[in-house]
Amino acid sequence: MRSLRRLLAPAAVVVAALALGLLVWSPASKPAATPGLSGSVLTAATSSNNSAQQSEGKTLFDESCSSCHGINAQGSALGPNLRGVGSGTVDLWVSSGWMPLANPTQQPARKPPLFNRQQTIAIADYVASLSSSKGFPIPNVSLKGANVSQGMSIFAENCAPCHTITGAGDALSGGINAPPLHGVTETQIAEAVRTGPGNMPRFGPGTLSNSQVRDVIAYVTRYIEHPVNPGGNGLGGVGPVAEGFIGLFVGVGLCVLVAFWIGDRTPRSPEGAEEHGGDGPEGGSGGDGSDPGGDGSASQREVEHV
Amino acid sequence: MIDNLFNWIDDRLAISRGGRHLLNKIFPDHWSFMLGEIALYSFIVLLLTGIFLTLYFVPSESSIVYHGAYLPIDGQHVSQAFASTLDITFSVRGGLLIRQMHHWAANIFIGSAVVHLLRIFFTGGFRRPREVNWIVGANLLILGIFNGFLGYSLPDDLVSGTGIRIAFSILESVPFAGSYLATFLFGGNFPGNGAIIPRFFIIQVLILPLAILGLLSAHLGMLVRHKHTQFKTPGAREDNVVGTPLWPTFMTKTLAFFFLTTGITVLLGAVAQINPIWQYGQYYPWKVSYAVQPDWYMGWLDGALRVMPSWEIHLPGHMIPNVFFPAVLLPGITFTVLMMYPFIEERLTGNVAEHHLLDRPRDRPVRTAFGCAVFAFYFVLFGASATDVLANYLNLSLNFVLWTFRILCIVVPIVVFPVAYKICKELEGVPEGGKRKVHNLIVRDPAGGYSTIPAEEYPGYESIELEPVDVEKVESLTAAAAAKNGDGRTEGVYEIPREYR
Repeated sequence: MRSLRRLLAPAAVVVAALALGLLVWSPASKPAATPGLSGSVLTAATSSNNSAQQSEGKTLFDESCSSCHGINAQGSALGPNLRGVGSGTVDLWVSSGWMPLANPTQQPARKPPLFNRQQTIAIADYVASLSSSKGFPIPNVSLKGANVSQGMSIFAENCAPCHTITGAGDALSGGINAPPLHGVTETQIAEAVRTGPGNMPRFGPGTLSNSQVRDVIAYVTRYIEHPVNPGGNGLGGVGPVAEGFIGLFVGVGLCVLVAFWIGDRTPRSPEGAEEHGGDGPEGGSGGDGSDPGGDGSASQREVEHV
Repeated sequence: MIDNLFNWIDDRLAISRGGRHLLNKIFPDHWSFMLGEIALYSFIVLLLTGIFLTLYFVPSESSIVYHGAYLPIDGQHVSQAFASTLDITFSVRGGLLIRQMHHWAANIFIGSAVVHLLRIFFTGGFRRPREVNWIVGANLLILGIFNGFLGYSLPDDLVSGTGIRIAFSILESVPFAGSYLATFLFGGNFPGNGAIIPRFFIIQVLILPLAILGLLSAHLGMLVRHKHTQFKTPGAREDNVVGTPLWPTFMTKTLAFFFLTTGITVLLGAVAQINPIWQYGQYYPWKVSYAVQPDWYMGWLDGALRVMPSWEIHLPGHMIPNVFFPAVLLPGITFTVLMMYPFIEERLTGNVAEHHLLDRPRDRPVRTAFGCAVFAFYFVLFGASATDVLANYLNLSLNFVLWTFRILCIVVPIVVFPVAYKICKELEGVPEGGKRKVHNLIVRDPAGGYSTIPAEEYPGYESIELEPVDVEKVESLTAAAAAKNGDGRTEGVYEIPREYR
């Protein structure tokens, strides 16, 4: 019985891991060779070419996007041409809530997406269908066999210079931000790496292979979004700025408060002593009488001649 | 039994006379006299936790493949220094707590030293005869900052490596001697030939702690020699010290303070994560993270580097780089002026007398205003070290924040000086300012109503004034006689029960 139980736990772990692997990593159909999408790691999601979905996409695009990007996504003075950018780009910008943008002059910021997953894909497919060049399609990300150690190394080299090594994000020059990487999905990371939104460089397959992108995605989704903080509160992952704040205001501050508690308070000027003729019943310990340190010191106050 | 033991020891070592003398040292009661103790006690915490860390830390840059507890670094090539810091963090029992305590204690050590320095400055505690002690204190601060920086660098992680890179460039920026200095200290061009971590290690754990210990002993020795300064409390004169003797009262207080300081360090070490190097990874010169700052005590230097416009001086055949001005010249001037300040003030005011009574800051409006303005300048620079983080959190343009700090570091001191001066002057005109309030008593009248009257007007209220016991008057009661010091200042021995009148 006992040995059976002993075997049970690891077996359960293995089964759970297998199940999880199957859930997370569902490789979709092998794609035609599309830019940045070959091999089994990043595969193009099956884009349904059914006309019902595309007409839904067109309706949504006309309602919410065309005022800036033009009625056929050809672009206008307010927004760029979207023909040929690929469904991956559209998916990234819409699913992250960057688009639609209330004010076209403002920098897009992450907000709750306006469209659900199915609507987003419909819009992306519609935009992709407007051009013969397919661009970067929405990828299916499989993390099977991902190496987080490799991912961390690549992250430190390619991502940390803007997003910071903890993924907290930071301000770049000219009012541009490298956004925090908390709460991003695997698909969004792949899309961002491959398409380079905004100021971010585009990392094509010649720079980072699909398996390298997979490793980065694994590192970000597992360790950046869920940092290992055995030392207590992570202080926002912004490093010595937050640490200095805590060290000075909590560390030194508490110590000074303790000194204030143990020591005596306001020194009285000699004139003051004469005017008021004295103190509380406890002598030197101040008016509140609740000062244990003061009591002790009062009873021992002495003069040393120098 | 214990008496016998003490007598036996005393017969052989003859320490009772000097010991008694030391135990009777009088400490003023005011809380601001305990600020330096925070630094002393956090230094003790640093020594103890530091010894623990040395037992496990491997000061070597030689590369190994990490196979430890932290998965995302598994299989990476890391230095032994970094790997052993990871092992302290994840594998040594209590290692992370000790490491974090060490780091927090360093932050508290230098922070409390600065607060202590400000107290001495604003109350004029540096004046004759304490100028030398002021200089020793300033050097303790400098050594503390250096040692903090070295300690921050030892784990060889991504963030600290960037700091070492900056330090190398700063050294290089010294005109003419720079490249020699830098290659001498680093054992070659950056990143050195594996010499940085071992050298930093021996400086950080041996040379600088010894220097700090030595200066600290001198600091405290001079404190005993000069005796404490004191505020102008009743009975306090230039030629006496009013306060509490070391044994037993002050000893109790100060021991409690030691334990509480340690406790605060443990608390921070347990709940607030500091320097998570496992998230940063091993330093390689081609890897860099954004939003990297030094520890707070280097912040003003980092801020100065950031706000400094890109000016360079081109001499014939030699260029003085931009980095030189904020990172070498500024600290050079800062610490020179800091150490020379007692003499500068003596020269300007012509006041060369000995001072054992402290000023209230308002009594010296010019010094106070000057100190506030200078402190404000460094505080703005300190803030400027977080330009990127501030811009990110306040959703502002980084360039706007940077320019704001450039303007602020000139404007703020100019504004602070007259404001501080005016406040001092105004306070001078308020006779009751800073005095204790008269107690009020709540009394109930026969009709049942309540009213408040000053305690002194209440019939039968007896105000009990504590008079310091004058040692001269009671000297004949004590067994030990007064000893003459070399400089002719008398010291008494006093075991007088204080009496309430």
